[in-house]
Amino acid sequence: MIFLRRQVPLLITLITGLVFAAQYYVPHPTSEQILTSVTKWLQIIGGFALVLGVSSLFHVHAIKIRRKEAGWGYSFVLYVSMLGTIAVGLWSNGKEAIDGTMTAFGWIYNFMMVPLQGTMFAILAFFIASAAYRSFRARSREAAVLLIAAVIVMMGRVPLGEYLIPLSGDLSQWILNVLNASVRRAILIGVSLGTVALSIKIIFGMERSYLGGGKE
Amino acid sequence: MALLLLSLAVLSQSWLPVFAQYDDQTKKTLSPPQDIRAFDTPSDGGGSLTVIWSPAPYDSAATRYQVLLSEGTTVPDPAAMKVVAEFPANQHYVRESKWPWWTKPATGEQHQFTMRNGRGVELKNGIAYSVTVAAVLSDDRGIAQPVQATPQPNWMNWNQINNLLLALLFGGIVFYAISRAGKREIFLRRIPGLDAVDEAIGRATELGKPILFLTGAHDMSDPSTIAAAVILGRVAKRTAAYETELLVPHRDPMTMAVCQEITKQAYLEAGKPDLYKDDSNFFITSDQFSYTAAVDGIMLRKKPAANFFMGAYFAEALLLTETGASTGAIQIAGTDSDHQLPFFVTTCDYTLIGEELYAASAYLSREPVQVGTLLGQDIGKGLILCVLGIGTILATLGVLLDVQWPQLFLDVFKDVK
Amino acid sequence: MTRGGLGLFYIHHRSLVTVMSFAERMLKIDRRIIFLVIGLCTLLPLLYPVGLPIKISQEVRGVYDYIESLPEGSVFLLSLDFDPASKPELHPQSISLLRHAFRKNLRVVAMTLWVSGTGMADQVVTQVAREMGKESGKDYVFLGWSPGGSAVIMNMGQDLYGTFPADYNGKPTKGLPVLQGIANLRDVNYAVSLGAGNPGVEAWYVFGKDKYKFELGGGCTGVMAPGLYPLLRSGQINGLIGGLRGAAEYETLIGQKGKAIAGMDAQSATHLAIIVLVILCNLFYFSLRRQAKQQGG
Repeated sequence: MIFLRRQVPLLITLITGLVFAAQYYVPHPTSEQILTSVTKWLQIIGGFALVLGVSSLFHVHAIKIRRKEAGWGYSFVLYVSMLGTIAVGLWSNGKEAIDGTMTAFGWIYNFMMVPLQGTMFAILAFFIASAAYRSFRARSREAAVLLIAAVIVMMGRVPLGEYLIPLSGDLSQWILNVLNASVRRAILIGVSLGTVALSIKIIFGMERSYLGGGKE
Repeated sequence: MALLLLSLAVLSQSWLPVFAQYDDQTKKTLSPPQDIRAFDTPSDGGGSLTVIWSPAPYDSAATRYQVLLSEGTTVPDPAAMKVVAEFPANQHYVRESKWPWWTKPATGEQHQFTMRNGRGVELKNGIAYSVTVAAVLSDDRGIAQPVQATPQPNWMNWNQINNLLLALLFGGIVFYAISRAGKREIFLRRIPGLDAVDEAIGRATELGKPILFLTGAHDMSDPSTIAAAVILGRVAKRTAAYETELLVPHRDPMTMAVCQEITKQAYLEAGKPDLYKDDSNFFITSDQFSYTAAVDGIMLRKKPAANFFMGAYFAEALLLTETGASTGAIQIAGTDSDHQLPFFVTTCDYTLIGEELYAASAYLSREPVQVGTLLGQDIGKGLILCVLGIGTILATLGVLLDVQWPQLFLDVFKDVK
Repeated sequence: MTRGGLGLFYIHHRSLVTVMSFAERMLKIDRRIIFLVIGLCTLLPLLYPVGLPIKISQEVRGVYDYIESLPEGSVFLLSLDFDPASKPELHPQSISLLRHAFRKNLRVVAMTLWVSGTGMADQVVTQVAREMGKESGKDYVFLGWSPGGSAVIMNMGQDLYGTFPADYNGKPTKGLPVLQGIANLRDVNYAVSLGAGNPGVEAWYVFGKDKYKFELGGGCTGVMAPGLYPLLRSGQINGLIGGLRGAAEYETLIGQKGKAIAGMDAQSATHLAIIVLVILCNLFYFSLRRQAKQQGG
């Protein structure tokens, strides 16, 4: 059992990791075909992962309803909404509109999903204002520099700011193109090296936490 | 009358050689391109041929080169071959090609043109083609003798050998660093965010409130989620020891399954297996804002004393952290999502920036493998810094002195396909 | 000290106490007041627009100029990689790009890598195509969504018809006039990914342009734009339309005003409001600090 749970996945990881690391340097059509096959498998597994997600959701909330835990009413609402949307979606063949006419599924998408998602995203504008008011204080020299740069970029990115202070547009572009780009690049290099190192550890079996459990 | 006759004689005699010379000159054909070589384009998947030829005295914007192609090795009439490309004669040099110096097929002054399959050109692998180049100036055309070449797919992309060597070098550095970390103690600088983990857990225990731990938006294939899961193991061990409630809502079922195992193991190692609860790790939904709304609800109802935001995040970052801040919780974040860093830094007490998240598992566990990896990464970064410095100086020298030799060093670190 | 001096001292002390408590109160102000200020700053300019001129940036011009340079009949791939949450910023970008592409009579191949954005993507493509008098299958095609994220890009790079055997409406893709001569991503003249996250612009570069060598441009939300500047500066993408501001610039370039230009007034007011709030909070903070120093000293 341990062999199946530990050694086999590690072996699969090692072989596929090395093969597809090498594949990057092999332009031969055979190598491309192998990559295409594997990416098709990834798509298939990705599709099943959706099913896994939905079934986990069903399972979790079914337990909540059965045990009548706090907030089980909301789980019931979730069940009804999920089943209703699936039924309507299947009935509409997954289409939001047929020949220009909105389907019931399209109605749910346009009048429930789009406004709800938009609302959540819109809350960000309010939250950033309250977070800025609470935290954007020049507690130190570095914080003061950050504050000034933030004000310049905020001014330079909107027409009103450029109208009031014409220089803010060019300054904000310089901050974004020079200062910001170089710092982002530095973080990107660090993160990329970390990713490569972690990938090497996973391929060679030195990092096994993704399999679950601790050391043996 | 005599004058008229004399004029006629002069006109008919003296100009004739001039006109005759001019006629001779216009009748002379343009000399065809010299030293034509055609070969299978190296380091590709096939379906491509490259042709090289020497520069000519008439190379200018007025003269044009035509590249001609036909299938087969015999060409009855080169002039009837299909024209696959035409361009001014002062273009398409080897020096302008993107190939690095170790794969360049000729000196920089030579002309080079690469034909690829598609867009009107058909080149099948394994079939011989005849290729030639013609020089054209007005009505004049000089066609070189066709040469043969066969496109073939290649097993190695030599243009990327520098990439491979650098990858192997970095891999070697990581292995060396891990072996060194196994033999001696390696210094790790203090990461304030991680020191605060104990403080946060202690505070939650004192207040009798739970701890909320989020593993981010990505699945287990992402390094940030793996790092978050490793940190969860350490946090779970502490919460087991202090008997504090742990809440870990998930966006991905596979991550949840892995984190359940990690948490179970942590409770086992802490000697408190009976305190472990399966539903401390629970799945909410994969949808970004539905998950955020649910977690916000948990924060407002359960009022955890400590919130950990580890992993990759997107727009939901600020929604989560601002809600957490409003409940008065101590918040520690760690992410490699640089676009969300400003929001975390603004709203959290401690933030692990970028690879500090990956370093966190090493810092907390002090395992030789983890610490060695960190050392390897730092050596890699040191190398990159040196290359940046040397490269900048050499590139500047190359421009100032108008020399090409700095390109030998710079090409080694260029990404060429 | 004279009585007058004592009196002045008392008034000064009381005023300092009053100022301090006011500053403290202001620093601890209820968040909902800030929310109200932001709400008004967003709503009022939308109701009473001003219409200030918009300066065009090099980043946005990069995308515009490239599309302008494409000859008629070129293949333009537009990947609408966003969901309804990012609609306010990326929807105007997609409308402008589609209008531009259709005006240039390019062959538009639209798709999405985000399942929750499929309906919205279909709507925007259909709406703009109808407006510009374009026919599905002949002038444009909406391929829809396929699972796999970056795996879809890799598969499209090998075989477009294998990845999308039918378009979103179920018509077989092989044989569609708009896809004539297109076997895979190598045959695409220009691709633009409007990304709100992952998969997005970076995935299109790493798994698409890097391997299959087509030219790539990007569009993204405002918060993601700074992170894509390294890709822009290194030439990995040839242009970047960042957020609502980028969309407004593009609308200005194509000469068709839309929601982005309309939204810029609201964005201007909101930015200014946040700047004022930040300045105020720093003023209160410094006055408190000074007071604390004076009391301590």
